[in-house]
Amino acid sequence: MTRCHTLIVMILLAAASAGAGCATVQPWQRGLLADSCMIFDADSATAYMTHWQEAREGSMGGFGVQGGGCGCK
Amino acid sequence: MKGRWAGSASRVAAVAASRRKPLLIALCALAVLLAAAGYNWAQNQLDVSFHAFQDSRGVTVLSPDANFSKDFSDRTTLKLKFGVDAISAASDSCARCHPNGANNGRVVANVGVTRKYGDSKLTVGGEVSRENFYTATTGLVSLSRDLNKANTTVAGGFAFSLNQPQLHPSDTVEHQTAVDAYGSVTQSWTKGTVTQVGYEINQVNGYQTNPFLRTKLNGVLTVGNSPDSRTRHAVSARLRQALPAETFFDADYRWYHDTWDVNSHTFALGLSHHFGSRVVGGGAWRHYTQTGAYFYQPSYTGNPTYYTGDFRLFPFDSNSVTGKVDITPKNGIVMMPPGSTLTLQYERYHATTGFVAGIFTGGVRIPLK
Repeated sequence: MTRCHTLIVMILLAAASAGAGCATVQPWQRGLLADSCMIFDADSATAYMTHWQEAREGSMGGFGVQGGGCGCK
Repeated sequence: MKGRWAGSASRVAAVAASRRKPLLIALCALAVLLAAAGYNWAQNQLDVSFHAFQDSRGVTVLSPDANFSKDFSDRTTLKLKFGVDAISAASDSCARCHPNGANNGRVVANVGVTRKYGDSKLTVGGEVSRENFYTATTGLVSLSRDLNKANTTVAGGFAFSLNQPQLHPSDTVEHQTAVDAYGSVTQSWTKGTVTQVGYEINQVNGYQTNPFLRTKLNGVLTVGNSPDSRTRHAVSARLRQALPAETFFDADYRWYHDTWDVNSHTFALGLSHHFGSRVVGGGAWRHYTQTGAYFYQPSYTGNPTYYTGDFRLFPFDSNSVTGKVDITPKNGIVMMPPGSTLTLQYERYHATTGFVAGIFTGGVRIPLK
């Protein structure tokens, strides 16, 4: 990874961290945020989709730690 | 002549039987998983899914899986996953030696225990995957912490894997280790907007050549030779945005780079809508583009150090579209309690290499007493 790429990562993470002090969503306002459509965690169908896409494509990761995978990878 | 016909008939029967075997394995596994749904677990949830994959090479993969979650207390949760991949008429690399198709099966089991400590959560777990000619064993740990009245979540994880490919048809077993680290920040900006940025680094050492895929080296089909070290970086940015009228928009982007010079960009956009209180429908589009590895060539001459026939190291683009519906009937699904949700999903994938696949998923999420 080049210095430029490292810089981009650092800027993204810093920008996200900086947001920590800005948001003022109160617990009683989190109804929409709790909707299943707003959740980042993968359900079984999405996890399977990711699994087979990684078996067909050269890249992987970005959304959480990986297991050892399978022989198809 | 009669003998030839008889031989042909028995071969057809043998092929048909061999193609039925993965289906039987998948159906048996699904039956066991559904039987588990009938057990009276306490304060738990069980997701049972059945995935069917078929591609333009004639490969079919049937994959039932189950994810079970049990709360032992208000601070400790156990998660178990068990899955099977039953593969028939395996890929073109198998067809070279097995013209009638070759079957494969994979079993994967995953366990994780999550413990809450105030605003922090610690998860420790592991995964074992076994199949013909490949074994993977992984240990993983992750930690997350809520900040700013739970509007910000900082998470990180680490995994170590020992992978052991067997160089079929020989009995030689190679070794490969993978170390994976991940960090993310999830931020709720408004009551309808949440974002996540993440970074993942993955270092793989050891044997990384695909032992089944061949390329032309001086005109002769030859198993490739890939470097023994690969470092992979991925940066992701994701958005979930609530829109008016019970509609939700999602956008994901991932940038990827590795030391073999494979670079990729992945974009995904989706919309979901609540049709009343019991049906959620949605669709998504995904575009993927990647460059080839620095040692990739369509064919090789001379005495190159590295060469490959692995399609994952070729340059290509792909597009896929997905449709999905979740239905939660008022009185539950047949023999399952109220609150159970049925999920149906279909994805169509096209790559510029000519590869086309269709993937269907049917699943039920069952809240257990």
